[in-house]
Amino acid sequence: MRPTQSHQVQDIRGVSFPLMAETPVAELLTAAEGGSQDAWDSLVDRYGRLVWSVIRGFRFDGATAADVSQTVWLRLVEHCGRIRDPERLPAWLATTARNESIRASRRMAKTIPTEFSVEVADEAAPSVDESLLEDEQLAQMLAAFEEMSPKCRELLQLLCTDPPLDYEAVSEVLDMPIGSIGPTRSRCLDRLRRLMERR
Amino acid sequence: MSDQIKDEQLLARLNAALDAADPLPEAVVDAAKASFTWRTIDAELAALVFDSAAEDLVGVRSAGVARQMTFRTPGVEIELVVVSETSRRLVGQLVPPQAAEIELHHEDVTRTAQSDNLGRFAFQDVPAGSVRLTCKLKGTNDPLIQTEWVII
Repeated sequence: MRPTQSHQVQDIRGVSFPLMAETPVAELLTAAEGGSQDAWDSLVDRYGRLVWSVIRGFRFDGATAADVSQTVWLRLVEHCGRIRDPERLPAWLATTARNESIRASRRMAKTIPTEFSVEVADEAAPSVDESLLEDEQLAQMLAAFEEMSPKCRELLQLLCTDPPLDYEAVSEVLDMPIGSIGPTRSRCLDRLRRLMERR
Repeated sequence: MSDQIKDEQLLARLNAALDAADPLPEAVVDAAKASFTWRTIDAELAALVFDSAAEDLVGVRSAGVARQMTFRTPGVEIELVVVSETSRRLVGQLVPPQAAEIELHHEDVTRTAQSDNLGRFAFQDVPAGSVRLTCKLKGTNDPLIQTEWVII
């Protein structure tokens, strides 16, 4: 009466494999598709912060951000075996996170009370509580970051993640010509430096 | 080159600042990991709790009568009848009755049917061998149910 399906941590060849940080994404996806919770956990550990960093750029409240994050991961559960190019998984995750964030923003704009809309629409509102930061330099950097254009913020947020998104992925996520990413990156970083010096 | 290193350092510091200000909550990580249990082939298992073929042992039914099976999860039962061994027609019933998408898996082949509002569904010309059903329920907390494999 037991299910015949295996839930052991094995890859498709039936051999157990170590889930090291350097395990290729393709192997993790294959193992997750085959039922390995450990492989799935490794994917979440590796890319959870990437997904979160895309979402937090939209300045949701904590509960909404958590919902969007969960939607992204559930999407991946559905698509685990259908990611055609496993090396593009970071781009897929970031794109999905961005699309779901945009969808959530629109849903909220339609349903939330007016006074809250005003608050959300306030571009000057800082997304973070700088007083929580003990490191004054980091706080300064954040304040400078908040002064930058949304375009610069979004680009730098994608470029500073760990692991970083490569230019091809950033181009895909932001729908930007790949050749313009390098120059825009330099310009945004210069702007960030100047804003920090001014403080 | 030195500028590039400075760029990398600046980005690293920015990442640290953003992370310190708005860290990835542990609960979000836990939820993301738990979402794996929703994957299709890890659907809630409906155990085979009744099989008229097994009841033959006590002589209640004789050969030639449609085989009946019941699969059960805490929330839903799936009644399955092999109407005829020759026509290979399967008729099913969801209890409580509800519209759902039903998949029949047989080796690598998946066939789909819809249950009507009374929870009834059917498959024709089902090949002999091991099969299992996946039921995608609508609007419940347990939208995906998968039966144990049965040989028909």
